[in-house]
Amino acid sequence: MTTTEHNPDRTADVLIVGAGASGAAVAASLSEAGFDVVCIEQGHWQDSFKYPTADPDFELKAMSSWSINPNKRRLPEDYPVNVEDSAVDPVMFNGVGGSTIMWVAHTPRLHPSDFRVKSQDGVADDWPISYEDLEPWYDLNDHVMGCSGISGDPANPPRSERPMPPIPIGRDGEMIAGAFDRLGWHWWPSDAYINSTRYGQGRDACNFCGHNMMGCYQRAKASTDLTYWPRAIDQGAELVTGARVREITTDSAGSATGVNYLDTEGNDRHRAARSVVMAANGVGTPRLMLLSDSENHPAGISNSSGLVGKNLMFHMFGGASGVFPDHVDPWVGPVANIILSQEFYETDPDRGFLRGYTFQMSRGQGPGSIARGVAGHRVPWGEDHHAVLERRFRNTLGLGSIGDDLPEEHNSVTLDERLTDSSGLPAPKITYRVSDNSRALLDHAIAQGTKVLEEAGATEILVNPQSRETGWHLLGTARMGDDPERSVVDKNGLSHDVDNLFIVDGSVFVTGGAVNPTPTIQAIALRTADYITNNRGDLKA
Amino acid sequence: MVIKTDTNLLTAALDRVVPPVGDLPGAGGLGLAEEVIKRSAADFRFQDALTTVLGDLPSPDDFLALDEDGQDDALRTAESSHPDAFGLWLDVVYTVYYMQPEVHQRLSWHGRSPQPEGNIMPPWDESVLGVIRQREPFWRKV
Repeated sequence: MTTTEHNPDRTADVLIVGAGASGAAVAASLSEAGFDVVCIEQGHWQDSFKYPTADPDFELKAMSSWSINPNKRRLPEDYPVNVEDSAVDPVMFNGVGGSTIMWVAHTPRLHPSDFRVKSQDGVADDWPISYEDLEPWYDLNDHVMGCSGISGDPANPPRSERPMPPIPIGRDGEMIAGAFDRLGWHWWPSDAYINSTRYGQGRDACNFCGHNMMGCYQRAKASTDLTYWPRAIDQGAELVTGARVREITTDSAGSATGVNYLDTEGNDRHRAARSVVMAANGVGTPRLMLLSDSENHPAGISNSSGLVGKNLMFHMFGGASGVFPDHVDPWVGPVANIILSQEFYETDPDRGFLRGYTFQMSRGQGPGSIARGVAGHRVPWGEDHHAVLERRFRNTLGLGSIGDDLPEEHNSVTLDERLTDSSGLPAPKITYRVSDNSRALLDHAIAQGTKVLEEAGATEILVNPQSRETGWHLLGTARMGDDPERSVVDKNGLSHDVDNLFIVDGSVFVTGGAVNPTPTIQAIALRTADYITNNRGDLKA
Repeated sequence: MVIKTDTNLLTAALDRVVPPVGDLPGAGGLGLAEEVIKRSAADFRFQDALTTVLGDLPSPDDFLALDEDGQDDALRTAESSHPDAFGLWLDVVYTVYYMQPEVHQRLSWHGRSPQPEGNIMPPWDESVLGVIRQREPFWRKV
């Protein structure tokens, strides 16, 4: 990797806010196309050899300094989130790579029907793009990030050959798969951005160490600090870390002129750019847009629709865990990308709810996390403690369900009136409640998941009606659409209001689907980057 | 701020929460009170929980004078008084306990992510797809 000396006083072609899943993809694509790119990231680079999963106290760190929850992690680069009025806590990581540092790298795609919810089910809205529109960038992203899997899944449209064969599903995966087979229900090995063979620069194959949520020592799990960023920097992109953007600046016509940000020392600085790309996730992006109010944008930048921050979707997550009579040693292999089932993905009115869900098998981790609670069921203290712990520890597998979470305007990100981050900037406040549709969907998923686990031989079922700390997927808060009164950006991610402001993260989702969204987020980002390359030569010096 | 007498109280409480098993002493007997105090001091949420739970228990002398059933009753009272704080304190106690090598040995667990050697899994076997491969595509067309 080569680095280029950059003049901070220049006017860059493109300024990206956020160096995570989508920002990195845009940075690589546009720098390879010859744009002068600068990215500002509030977090820092990570050293994969220092991830705490190999530390004896990794389970304690997962509760504090390496928590997925920024309200527990509380690092200077994090911002607090007011969740008093939310049924779900948003989780994220701030750093180069963003939340791809702390993810399971489970990478299914949206279904074609997810883009046509209004047409098919009469609720929410249709996307202005289709699955077919996005497919080339899904494929491109699968190759850059490195996807292990196998094509031929009957629940999805045919897709190109996966760059690597599937991660082995293990004896435990075969147990659950066999149960699905006997029930006559769908299952398939998960697509994963985890190397099943050596793939990419300096990235080894998965060694099945088991604790990959907190970063991957082997670099087998893809994160954009390992995939897109080296390419972008090789092409001359500038990445400024430890710098917190506080507002997007505009000129008298309302066009974006760059950003004001606080550097590592807290000094207020300005970076000029011919365009701004927001890639700060579905909470961080609307927060910053709302902070960027001005005479031309009194309700926040690009907010003439009033929809910035509205329609927040998380994906509802609940499920069941099964305790089996024999050891399954669930710490061997990736945590949560083993097999999935999309038997109940599409709408069936007889079920009493619209849309559907994906089952996702999961493994356990260490005894500390088992003691703290499988599916929210803490092992009791006292005389029964050891017997219950030993029954669960080596013998428990989970079947989580990710449910489609339809957009509702009252579910939102706003600016908190009192809470601030370490720089004194207003923190986001989340308002979110579980809808009746989502509740019915989760109840169905738990009942069907229980059947699967019992069919697989589980002798005890631990039900988790809905997990609170599962807001991994931050979607919908600056949605795309053709109608400027019903959306914030167009189908290319370009603001309806500001002719040089783009949004490429999960904020632009119109509906959420029922799968982990990162491949879709990155495909959208790459598509927007190609749109800029092919249509916005005016942004290049 | 946790003082010496609190350490004695905590040691006794830990032995009731995670009691001895087999040849292994309880969490108190393993000498984990100091470790729980140290780890709690590193995170204000943990510290608040520890202080709350200790504050809900009888004085050290009174708690130590109770028999095991009496100590359990006192802990249950603390649990019902401040369930969130008690739960978080319990999470810290459990996590510290399950960090200990002698506990790992008893559970036949390696104790951490084995790096760089990893674990062994049987290789991917495509024959497991035999049944599902026979299913016709069923994704919803648009």
